Amino acid sequence: MKRRFTLPALTVAALIASLFVAVSPASAHGYISSPPSRQANCVSGAVPNCGDIIYEPQSVEAPKGSTLCNGGGSRFTVLNDTSKNWPAATVGQTVTFNWVITAAHSTATWEYLIGGTLLASFNDNGARPGATKQHTVSMKGFTGRQAVLARWNIADTVNAFYSCVDVNIGGGTSSPPPTTSPTTSPTTPATTRPTTPPPAGGTWAVGTAYKTGDVVTYNGVSYRCLQAHTAIAGWEPPNVPALWARA
Amino acid sequence: MALLVAGCASAPAAGAPASFGPTDVMFAQMALAQNQDGDQVAALASTRAADPRIRAIASSLRDRWKTDSGPLQRWLLGWQQPLTAPAGSHTGHGDLHALQPSSLAELRAVTGAAFDRTAVALLLAGLHNSVETTRMESTGGNYPPAEQLASSMTSAYQEQIRALLVIAAAQ
Repeated sequence: MKRRFTLPALTVAALIASLFVAVSPASAHGYISSPPSRQANCVSGAVPNCGDIIYEPQSVEAPKGSTLCNGGGSRFTVLNDTSKNWPAATVGQTVTFNWVITAAHSTATWEYLIGGTLLASFNDNGARPGATKQHTVSMKGFTGRQAVLARWNIADTVNAFYSCVDVNIGGGTSSPPPTTSPTTSPTTPATTRPTTPPPAGGTWAVGTAYKTGDVVTYNGVSYRCLQAHTAIAGWEPPNVPALWARA
Repeated sequence: MALLVAGCASAPAAGAPASFGPTDVMFAQMALAQNQDGDQVAALASTRAADPRIRAIASSLRDRWKTDSGPLQRWLLGWQQPLTAPAGSHTGHGDLHALQPSSLAELRAVTGAAFDRTAVALLLAGLHNSVETTRMESTGGNYPPAEQLASSMTSAYQEQIRALLVIAAAQ
């Protein structure tokens, strides 16, 4: 009798124990919360209709070496979608990135890139991160709207965790222009002219409606407008040859 | 004697609700453990954070966790399951997802803006891990009351995560 009743209990216990092993926690580790990464902007609601990423911004895991915001693969492709209106944080030439760490994994390196350019790499030599992780990174002269790709390379797996942070870099002095041009070009030229035209030789500014022939200065260099448009972050004259030529 | 033992052993089987499964058990055990972890962070954050929004979120989470622990413990007792996961179930990977004692020590040691930043990071991390647990129950659970609680927890946590991310963005 005893045996008859203890067997099912053991079976249930074994089943539960095996499930704990089989259903290992999702491989989730971390993401950048400040300046807000794309996944952070999805979770906070700043960008709507992001799909399941809102429940696990920390899970953007993929093999090391990708230059895509989702790390490649088929999950969370919304993060690569440049047609989404990702807010860009206004930053200077030096940016401090803060991570949220949901699993303190042994770490190889933390890398920060713009386009193909490595901005910084921090080698943790296998150490595990603590409660917080913070890096201060130079933008290496990049200006205007840029997507910074951060990669957290795990030491004991083949994978990395990916976080893209959209920034609008101001305060550039006589810095080299970025090698990448914006992925989007203006499709709808401004239909209305500014009520007061910008003064000749005025400084380029976001939100200004420019018309063909307007001359502005940007970082001390003069540019002539080639096509009427309203300036947005990322369309700085040196970045968009379709809109501006050196005067 | 044999009859007596048999009677005792068969009683829970007769009275136990039929409709719970391993995922429900795991959910209840993990949620209790995560709530205890979270409470250690929130207890500090609710009194020491400079930003009143952080104090308010931490207090609200503590209330929620206290309330939720009632049914979670009651279900496990009713199912005759331990309140904590079997030893060894977290030895592979899962322990990395729990609050590290060193992280708590770090939070205790810092002050000012660093305290607020660390508290937000730890609250967010804990809530993200909790949401994985509640979503696991919502998709794989068998016991309707537990599924309902999990769904309600997911919504509540997501709301606090949104609020914390707004704070984090300006830190």
